[in-house]
Amino acid sequence: MAKGRWVVAALLIGTALGSPLRAQGTGSVSGRVVDSTTQQPVANAQVQVVGTQVGGLTRLDGRYFLTGVAVGAQRVRVTRIGFGAQESAVTVTAGGTATADFTLAAVAATLSEIVVTGYGSQRREAITGSVAQVNADEANKGVVTNPNQLVQGRVSGVQMVTNNGEPGGGVQIRVRGGTSISASNDPLYVIDGVPLQNEQTVASGPSVGFDAALPRSPLNTINPSDIESITVLKDASATAIYGSRGANGVILIQTKRGSARAQTGLRYEGYAAAASPTKELGYASGDEYRSFVQQQVAAGNLDPATATSLGTANTDWEKEITRQAYSQNHNIAFAGGTEATKYRASLNYFEQQGVVVSSGLKRYQGRLNGLHSTFGGKLGIGLNLAASRVNNDYIPFENGGGFTGGVFTNVAIYNPTRPVTVTDPTTGKQVYYETGSGAQDARNPVAMVKQISDIAPENRVLGNVTGTLTLLPSLTAQTTLGVDYSGSVRQTYIPRVNAIGASTNGYARQSETNLQNLNFQQLLTYNPNFAQKHELDLVGGYEYSSFDNYGFAVEAQNFVSDQFTWNSLASGVAGAAPPPTSYDNESKLVSFFGRANYGFANKYFLTGVLRYDGSSRLAEGNKWSTFPAISGSWRLSEESFMSNRPLGLSTLALRAGWGIQGNQAVRPYGTQLLFKADPGARYPFGSGLTTGLSATQVANPDLKWETSNQINFGIDYGFKNDRFSGVIDFYNKKTKDLILEVSVPQPAVVSTRLENIGDLKNTGVEFSLDSRIFEATKRNLTVGLIGTIDRNEVTSLGEGRSFVGTGDVNGQGQTGRLSQRIMVGQPLGTFWGPKFLRVNEQGKQVFFCAKERPECVNGETTVPAGDDDEILGNANPDFTLGLTSNGRWGNFDASWLWRGEFGGDVFNNTALVYQTKSAVKQGRNFLKDALNDPDGLAEPAIFSSRWIESRSFVRLQNITLGYTFDARSVSKFSRSLRAYVSGDNLFLFSGYNGYDPEVFVSRGLAARGIDYVTFPRARTFTTGLQIEF
Amino acid sequence: MTSFLSKSIRQIGRGAMLAALVALPPLACTDLTEVPNDALTPDNAFKSDAELIAGIASVYARLRNPMWGYYNLSEITTDEVVVPTRGSDWFDNGRWLEIYRQTWTANSGSALDDMNGAWNDAFSGVARANLMLEILDKSTATTNEQAKAELRVLRAYFYYQLMDFFGGVPLVTGTALEANPRVSRDSVFKFVEAELLATRETLPLTRDAGEYGRLTRGAADALLASLYINAGVFTKDQGINANTYNSCAGITVSGGKDACQAASDMADSVITSGVYTLATDFKQNFSTTNEASPENIFVIALTNQPGLGMSFAMRTLHYNQLSTGGGGPWNGFATIAETYNQFDHAADKRDAMWLVGQQKSFNTGQNVNDRTGAPLIFTPTIGNIESATEGEGVRYNKFPPLPNALAGDAHPNDFPIFRLAEMYLIKAEAQLALGNTGAALANVNLVRARAFDPPKPLAAISPDVIMQERLFEFAGEGKRRQDMVRFGHFLDARQFKGSREAYRVLFPVPATQIQSNAKLVQNPGY
Repeated sequence: MAKGRWVVAALLIGTALGSPLRAQGTGSVSGRVVDSTTQQPVANAQVQVVGTQVGGLTRLDGRYFLTGVAVGAQRVRVTRIGFGAQESAVTVTAGGTATADFTLAAVAATLSEIVVTGYGSQRREAITGSVAQVNADEANKGVVTNPNQLVQGRVSGVQMVTNNGEPGGGVQIRVRGGTSISASNDPLYVIDGVPLQNEQTVASGPSVGFDAALPRSPLNTINPSDIESITVLKDASATAIYGSRGANGVILIQTKRGSARAQTGLRYEGYAAAASPTKELGYASGDEYRSFVQQQVAAGNLDPATATSLGTANTDWEKEITRQAYSQNHNIAFAGGTEATKYRASLNYFEQQGVVVSSGLKRYQGRLNGLHSTFGGKLGIGLNLAASRVNNDYIPFENGGGFTGGVFTNVAIYNPTRPVTVTDPTTGKQVYYETGSGAQDARNPVAMVKQISDIAPENRVLGNVTGTLTLLPSLTAQTTLGVDYSGSVRQTYIPRVNAIGASTNGYARQSETNLQNLNFQQLLTYNPNFAQKHELDLVGGYEYSSFDNYGFAVEAQNFVSDQFTWNSLASGVAGAAPPPTSYDNESKLVSFFGRANYGFANKYFLTGVLRYDGSSRLAEGNKWSTFPAISGSWRLSEESFMSNRPLGLSTLALRAGWGIQGNQAVRPYGTQLLFKADPGARYPFGSGLTTGLSATQVANPDLKWETSNQINFGIDYGFKNDRFSGVIDFYNKKTKDLILEVSVPQPAVVSTRLENIGDLKNTGVEFSLDSRIFEATKRNLTVGLIGTIDRNEVTSLGEGRSFVGTGDVNGQGQTGRLSQRIMVGQPLGTFWGPKFLRVNEQGKQVFFCAKERPECVNGETTVPAGDDDEILGNANPDFTLGLTSNGRWGNFDASWLWRGEFGGDVFNNTALVYQTKSAVKQGRNFLKDALNDPDGLAEPAIFSSRWIESRSFVRLQNITLGYTFDARSVSKFSRSLRAYVSGDNLFLFSGYNGYDPEVFVSRGLAARGIDYVTFPRARTFTTGLQIEF
Repeated sequence: MTSFLSKSIRQIGRGAMLAALVALPPLACTDLTEVPNDALTPDNAFKSDAELIAGIASVYARLRNPMWGYYNLSEITTDEVVVPTRGSDWFDNGRWLEIYRQTWTANSGSALDDMNGAWNDAFSGVARANLMLEILDKSTATTNEQAKAELRVLRAYFYYQLMDFFGGVPLVTGTALEANPRVSRDSVFKFVEAELLATRETLPLTRDAGEYGRLTRGAADALLASLYINAGVFTKDQGINANTYNSCAGITVSGGKDACQAASDMADSVITSGVYTLATDFKQNFSTTNEASPENIFVIALTNQPGLGMSFAMRTLHYNQLSTGGGGPWNGFATIAETYNQFDHAADKRDAMWLVGQQKSFNTGQNVNDRTGAPLIFTPTIGNIESATEGEGVRYNKFPPLPNALAGDAHPNDFPIFRLAEMYLIKAEAQLALGNTGAALANVNLVRARAFDPPKPLAAISPDVIMQERLFEFAGEGKRRQDMVRFGHFLDARQFKGSREAYRVLFPVPATQIQSNAKLVQNPGY
């Protein structure tokens, strides 16, 4: 059905595109673009004949030449990042060449440029919503694994928390706070106009004696060097055009394109980097452990056998599993073209080692962007194609941490008096020391990282073809077909020689994940030339997306040899391994949308947006929803009463907007009663096993999109000819019909289901300031500052429900303890538990209590009960700051980025569990700090306010120093040459005791700010080279 | 003319192109029907007998869940099991000690976790049964009536558990997902009774080997016998005797019978059915091949597959004592010296369920050490249940594990919900309540005869003697809480625990349940 229509659509497009178009008489436009202050040529400025596809870039000498311009009065617009846009009217005669020279005035980066918006682009001045843009070249410093990192600290209102220090680790990215509880809070990513399916591209690792680590970022397959710009759409008036997918903000990524330069340019960029862990947590050393045990034995607190059974080694397990890690990146790109055909191609090889042994990733990517215009610029065909392969190498580290744990748990608990390796008495070979043959609860962490193989090659193809047809000078039709396909196989083998593998005689698993996303867009853009005072820009469109995600997993064990690994699963047997599993989720999203931008006299702008989205994921009657938005702006600085520039104000604009966005994170088939033959529903009738067919999901046909209603007020300001300029935005975002996974009244076949329950509110202020502190011909200094204040509050959880418990505490002896509550009147990430008072003379922890009971004496108890729990803090920062600076002094350039978050708490789950001396009773190590704790040896780890720490920090994210060689000295060889050194994560100012206060561990609904034995962060030094041939 | 024509063609072409482009959206797909690829829906499920049997199996599968929540709470609240904190291990938010000490509140760890789990486990069994009954009502399969009877007995059993723990609960037989209020405990009692009486005749007396595990008339009768013997507790929301025996005598049940008489009659119905005999070897009832025991009436059939077996051994044995495909045991559950010492260590064969002294590996038979490297010795004494050493506390090995089981929860010993010995003890208890001391003593001694060689019959009988005999016979079988409540000893002070308030004979309705169903009213006292 759908496929048939595709054919029809394709044929129609083909017919349309193939229609003979006879060019009318055309002429050319040429000219030169220079910088107003330096009078130096401005290269790479975009020159466009307004309302047509005719355009190109200026050459190094600032000159441009456009051919195929329709005869008559035309307007030519020049734009360049960092400069104010300019327009000029020309009259083109058939066969003649009109001249238009431009003098551009430099402005701070956020203002006056062409900004990519949803389904089109706009002049910065005409934008009425809250939109921020990052120039990727300026942000691409140091070791940047994926595009997310380009945004960090550079856009106000965007909070990014990288899960941990794993190469390519996943990122929690929140545009204007979390708007949802159960549903995804990730923004929508759109690459070259095609929405990306932001799903996990690689299957999770197996949980064999440990919980699998969090997935890595799906954006690792995208090479940051190919990115031209990243635009973040923040408010509803900007994101409503993405309708049901816009609630969490939209991140638009534009890749680099070719230009019609005189000569083809070849550019090489490369760097090499070395990284090492920033910090050790500090577990007790072998000597410290031994003397502590002996001291406790002497005091009669431990069995003397405990001391005699100790080893003689002094192993620092933390050090044993970490390393100096190296990274390298090589990027070759060439770009060029003619007025009619432009292209850019790039190749990338990127390799990053993790600071923990045997972890890392490698990326190979090729990208081709091409643009061809014909029929006098009336027909444009564009192609963006990127193919990448990422080879992931994982280590078996835990996300949550089960009873026995993965690498980092065992680093914490493994007895430091034990050696890493011992000589096997029978073979005489060095083997990893293990305490037992598999039934033990502690495993040699070095053996874990070295012996267990866990890799995942993944392939991703991202591509789209676009046909643009200028139907009338002011009317353009654009058709885009996009595909986003990714496939990966997670391959894991735990060998027989390993303590975990020994219990199953080897364990192998292959798990394949495939994501397929087809996107079709049809746009009509109407951009008429009115009298000078009016501007109108209408976009109408239709979009169709189909998603098909499928995969399977197979496990085997009982291998006779470790040679087979996952490559010969049949060499093992199923054993206790679960039966093979597979899944397939298909869904469709169909949309109609329109947007109107109207501007008058470059003073008043109005935007209206309407999107009508239909999704297969919802039940009949709720499939379709409408998402409207309206916004306007008034550029006061263009008014005559501001012409004397009071207070030095060169730019002043007021913006206001309102809109409704949706969050469509209902999983496919999420509203239906589903039956599956679940392995857990089997039952042995007689001697065989009878398959069990059971309901795996409760139906909820009433389920609909969660919607956010957002108001935004903004001010764009600029002083002293925009030498100081920036944006201030205020917003209020109310999410209603929250999609919440809630317990349902019993009896129910499944005890929870998704319901539209409750409301959530985010209010905030964002500001940015860009300033050109100092400017001279070859010397300049710019400083950018961004700040964000976001307040999140749960305003309702539905009738009768006052809280939802979340944030499971990790570690042995913590089962069932929750650390957070989602509560009405409080933000997400609110810590909840007993309040710690002190440690008493008996070495027992004392907690506050209020409710009368025998264990509560004088408002104090050593046995906290749920009734006395209270709010202990929350994980959200009060405010965040980002400070960037770029400077140039002759041939030297320098830049840095500082980031800081202030206020907010983090739960140091690692310290709770491992800073407990009682671990010694089980022969386990503990954090050195415990030696100074007054806690008695009999005291278990008890969650309380004691383990909630301040999250505030200031980080020197990156500092880069570069030198550009004089063209003359390198001219024989290349056109330009720049070398640089760069440092990432050089300083962290924080009072936090764990590795890093910026952590994410997934432990329940909307839980945040929990730190538990994560992958350590790295400090990285990079040296790099950029050569243009 | 030519130029006019070409211009016209051009205009037409352009118009057509425009029309085509504008017309594209409606032509493209707007069909949003969703048919799951990897799951069945009510529209296309249960179209064959095989699918129906699979649906019934999924209801049986829910019998396994109570082996965690219902079982643990039935054991740890009593003198049979204590879970000491060892280091941080088994601290778990203080919930194990809280269960043992009976200091839970509606918001505490055990209520939010274990009690909530027991509530959800039993109700999800009810829900699966309700759903399958609705499906069978619409189906025309041949085995319909018997299958429906089976499902109704399973549902009755889940309600029996809920009534045992929480008192009155929402009584729902449909599939609509809605908030319902609690009915009285007596209403649940009457519902369970009526359902069992209505279906027992439809169930077969015996099953073929290929259907082992599926319910028989004996299962319904045994459940009725247990229901009746507990009538002094199960018919009351309030006024349960905290410190004295709650007799079934004097409570009128279906057909105007006295509950004790009804209990005795139902026990007799099983005893005289000719289907069951006491296993000669007590241990046979609990072995990894106990499906062969002639004593089983109603079992949870278990098998050596991950998640489809038993995990009791894992809860109690030391880490180093056993190695399964899912790792070693968890060194948790132990018993207190007070209880262990009630056993006749010298003569009672049932004493063999306890593990004490130097421990051996179940896999190799060799002596094992604890994790600090010292020999692993289980001692009856536990110095401090808040900070016990690895070897403190006697462990129970009533259901011996299968060494090298595929997973920790894959030990294939079937779990007996009811076995014939209990019918004799129920009959004894009912006869005692009815005043027939001789019959009572005879039935108790019949069960004891197997446990002693030479026999060591009792000479005198009282409710407390029956309670103790039930300890010897059923320790570790998840019956202790129900017994102690009935005999009026649940709240008594014992080692590591003070005496508790009368309202604790019922568990609180977990706070999370009240959050999702505002019509639920909390039990008094909480």
